[in-house]
This record gives sequence, structure tokens and C-alpha cells, in this order.
Amino acid sequence: MLSDVAFGQYYPVSSPVHRLDPRTKIVILIAYIVMIFLIKNFVGFVLAGAFLLATIIIAKVPIGSVIKSVKAILFIIIITFIINLFLHKEEGAKVLFDVWLLNKITDKSIKYALFMALRLSFLVFGSSLLTLTTTPVSLTDGIESLLTPLKWIRFPVHELALIMSIALRFIPTLMEETDRIISAQKARGADFETGNFLKKAKALLPVLIPLVISAFRRAEELGDAMDARCYNGSKNRTKYKKLTFKFRDFISVFITAAVFTAVIFANIYLGGIV
Amino acid sequence: MDIICNGLGFQYSKKTEFAKYALKDVSLTIKSGEFFGIIGHTGSGKSTFIRHLNALCEVQEGSLSVGEIDLSPEKKKGKKKKEYKKRLKDLRKSVGMVFQYPEQQLFAETVFEDVAFGYKNFNEKPSAEEVEAAVKGALSLVGLDYNLVKDKSPFDLSGGQKRRVAIAGVLVAKPSILVLDEPCAGLDPAGKTELWALLHHLHKTTVETIIVVSHDMNDVAKHCTRVAMFSDGTLKRVATPSELFDDTILIEESGLEVPVTAFIKNELLKNGLEIKTDYTDDNFVEQIVNLYKSRQV
Ligand SMILES: Nc1ncnc2c1ncn2[C@@H]1O[C@H](COP(=O)(O)OP(=O)(O)OP(=O)(O)O)[C@@H](O)[C@H]1O
Ligand SMILES: [Mg+2]
Repeated sequence: MLSDVAFGQYYPVSSPVHRLDPRTKIVILIAYIVMIFLIKNFVGFVLAGAFLLATIIIAKVPIGSVIKSVKAILFIIIITFIINLFLHKEEGAKVLFDVWLLNKITDKSIKYALFMALRLSFLVFGSSLLTLTTTPVSLTDGIESLLTPLKWIRFPVHELALIMSIALRFIPTLMEETDRIISAQKARGADFETGNFLKKAKALLPVLIPLVISAFRRAEELGDAMDARCYNGSKNRTKYKKLTFKFRDFISVFITAAVFTAVIFANIYLGGIV
Repeated sequence: MDIICNGLGFQYSKKTEFAKYALKDVSLTIKSGEFFGIIGHTGSGKSTFIRHLNALCEVQEGSLSVGEIDLSPEKKKGKKKKEYKKRLKDLRKSVGMVFQYPEQQLFAETVFEDVAFGYKNFNEKPSAEEVEAAVKGALSLVGLDYNLVKDKSPFDLSGGQKRRVAIAGVLVAKPSILVLDEPCAGLDPAGKTELWALLHHLHKTTVETIIVVSHDMNDVAKHCTRVAMFSDGTLKRVATPSELFDDTILIEESGLEVPVTAFIKNELLKNGLEIKTDYTDDNFVEQIVNLYKSRQV
């Protein structure tokens, strides 16, 4: 069933990480991503891994659901690994395998490729931890608040956030609708499984057309409903849930900063193994 | 074609933390020729049950067969897979399924194309004349003028007309069992009456068995020969409407309303007036008149 696909995969439990201000979590995620790209040696990865693991435990999310998130980009990770394995060149590297025509695999290229794969995985782990612990609504609230400076150059921040939250809100609805229309056309004998690519693509038309039509209808209805309530995103608009920084936000920023510094120190004192 | 199911059970999102039984241990036989009603409160599993009849839900527990076609899980494994797909097509051809708000499945540029969709899917390379004859027949069954609507875009029709086109798109395959999920939802009273008249007409002419999910107990009392009542995924009772609505307590416990006739009968009973009725409007009026006359004497 389509609706089994986890989208905006919020994991509803109560934990200190869930209760953090979304802005804090976004900023920490950005810092974390910068950090994993600065890492030069395995000690750095151990630090980042420990940081990640501790967050997962505090957040009370199942570790499996974090690891599962990597599946979506596994292909990209493998490609990156292979490309780096063959193409990474560095002075003084020891050749391990000399693959004819392709390139030489050296001890350094193995490490470099491994680091790249680790970085990408860590990136996905961290991001999925954010979506697992933050509802889509507070996530967009956080993004809107962080983008506020852009309002000075007349960038429609509020509208952008609104579009995001509406889109997120309608993903499950559209999935359900797709399911329904697929059932209805299957009952009329539509076959989505046999035939070549072109035939399969054509078979999707009886699903896509009603889906697009209903999406437009929904958009229009939603627009009318908002108009009827005189909705506008002007600057005097207040929020139902006000975002406020709490003590725990400062603590977590502090901890992140500490880990970040430790990684930098590890880089300086242990040097890059790569 | 009889429908026989035994111990049918189904869970959505099976094997995840969201798994929950939508159907549990449903055993039911629907005989060929019945005008069968399915009632139950919202979320009681009615739609899930009828999805099984078209193999849109795979049988997870128990067994289900529709006519000759056995839909039990072991029948689609390994070598039998190809044969199973063929059976699936046969099944969907003989069991027509009209979903709730069927007009939302319309997609083609013209009414003709949309109605022909099912016919072309179910028949190997039909000739243009065959398709035209089938579409003509289906549109006239639902009471639409073929020449008037065939070239129109289905999206330019009124709501009631759209629904007729959608139903024609199902009837075009000439199913022997027709399953409808709340076909009257969103229709005005006149539209409802017409739709029920259409169903009766179909039942008399081309369609052997009609299975209809309805929330309107008045309609159920009036039209169905037998009724199945679902509650929380289980089958609570299968009976004729008059047997079922005699059991007012069961109906109300299940969060349903009794038909108006049953309501009046109960109110009369509270005032010491007892009548016997099968809850159809005509019979009910007759009984009241009889009662009135007998009192006057
Ligand atoms: N696609 C789905 N995914 C997960 N759960 C579902 C899905 N469809 C239905 N359910 C659940 O299965 C149960 C039975 O639903 P079903 O649609 O069969 O009820 P229903 O009797 O048709 O209700 P209604 O009268 O509202 O149409 C409900 O609890 C519902 O939440
Ligand atoms: Mg339903």
C-alpha cells in the first residue's frame, strides 16, 4: 500500500530532543553538517558518532528507523564510494591494486572513499533525526523564523513557509487519493504491471489525470476557504505557538559547540590521516 | 456466482506498529440473485470487505471465493502466479465495483472514451463496432442520451451526470455482480430515488447480484433482500431487513439509526399500539391504515 511509505516520518514520543526549539535543532543540524565535512581523521568520526548516538538515545527514537533512512540514498553513497576509490589522487600514496585502464587504488584513496561514504551517511542520519523528532509544522515554523532576516530584502518568507507546510500537510491526503484512484482503475481492468516502459507510463494516465484534477480542486477550495477567513500573511499576524528558547536550548547548543571544538582539536593535533 | 467467505481477516499496514484489524473472522455467503445490503458505523470495515471481492485487498486470513474463482492466498504463489493474474482479470470483469464518489475516477477526454476504457481492458482487441455497441448499451442503462453526451468532456457534466457516466464505465464490462460503496452519497433526493430505481432495473435485467453499502437505513429497509451488519471489523449479524430492524437495541448499540418506520413503530409500541411490519414504506402505511380502521370499528 502506498501509504505505508514513511514521509515526514515524525516519531511521536516525548523526549528532551522533541521538546527542543525547532530553530535550535536546525542550527545544530547545520553545525553538525559543517562539522562532518571538516573531519579529517577517524577520531573525529568517533566523536561525531558518539554525539549522534547520544542524541538518538536521548530522543528515544528506535535506532533502526535512523539507520533505515540511509536506504534512500544508498545508491548515491555507493557511487560516491566507487568514484572516490578510483579517482582520488594524492602524493605519496601506496598503490594497493593497479586496476588496468581505470586507475590505481591506493591506501589513501580507500580511506578517502570510506570517509566520503561515512560523511554522507552521517549527514542522512542527522537529518532524519531532525525529521523524526520535529513535526513538519514546527519545522516550517522554525525555518520561517530563521529566514526572517530575508524579509528585509522583501523575500516572501512567510508565504514560502506557508507553501511548505501546506505541501507537507497534503502529502498523506494525496497518497490516500492515489491509492483510491488506482483501486478504482484496477477495478475497471487497468493493468499497471505488464508491458514495456512506455506502456506502463501510458497506463498511469488514468491515475494521474484524476489526481491532478483533484489536486487543483483541493487547491482552489483551500484558497477559497482561506480567502473567506480573510487570511493574509501580513506583518501583524500572530502565532498560535510562539517559539521561545528555553534553558535546554542553550545547553544543547553548548554541547554541540563542545563537540565541534573537540573535532577541530582532533584535526589540529592528530592531523589528517587522509 | 455465489460469494463465500470463511474466517476472513485483514490488517492494514500489517507487520508495522500501526497494524490493526480492519476485518476479523468474517464468514458470510452471498447467493447469486440477492440484493444485498451492508451496513455499519464509520470505520467498521465495510469498504475493506468489499475491496476483497475485487482482489484489491489480498486475502490475509481465512478464505474467499467468488463463483469459481478462489482468492485464498496459497493460490497465487510460484507457478500459479500467471494463472492467478488471468483469474484476477476474470474476477474484475464479473465483479463490477463502484466506489464512493466514482466520478473522481473519470479521466478521458470524452465520455465515450471513459466508458470504453473498461471494455477495452477486459476484452481482447474489440472491434470499433463492438466498443460502440457496448458504450451505447451502458450509457442507455444509466439513462443518458448516447448522442448527446458521447463527445462531451466528462468534466463538463453535472455531478449527477458524472456519477452516471462513472457507473456506465463499470457496467460496460457487463458484470454479473455489482458492488456499490455508498452510491447515493452527495446526491439530492430525486437523484437518490433515480439511482435506486436504476439498481432495481439492473437487478431485474443484466446484473445478477447487487451488493450495496449504505448509511441510510430507510433505503436498506426498502430495497435490500438481506443485510449484513458490521461493527469494529466483525460481522455482527446477517438477516433480512425486517428481522434486523426488529432488533432495535442491536442497531442502536452499533451507533446506527433505525429506519423511520421502525422508529414510529417503537413509539407506537410505547403507547400501547402494536403493529407488525417489514419496515418498507408501503407495507408500513398499510399496517397503520389497518390499525386505524380496526380501532374505529
Ligand atoms: N488505507 C488504509 N490504511 C490504513 N488503515 C485503513 C485504510 N483504510 C481503512 N483503514 C482502517 O480500517 C478500518 C476500516 O475501514 P473501512 O474503510 O473499511 O471502514 P468503512 O466501514 O468503509 O467506513 P466508512 O463508513 O467511513 O466508509 C478503519 O479503522 C480505518 O481506519
Ligand atoms: Mg467506506
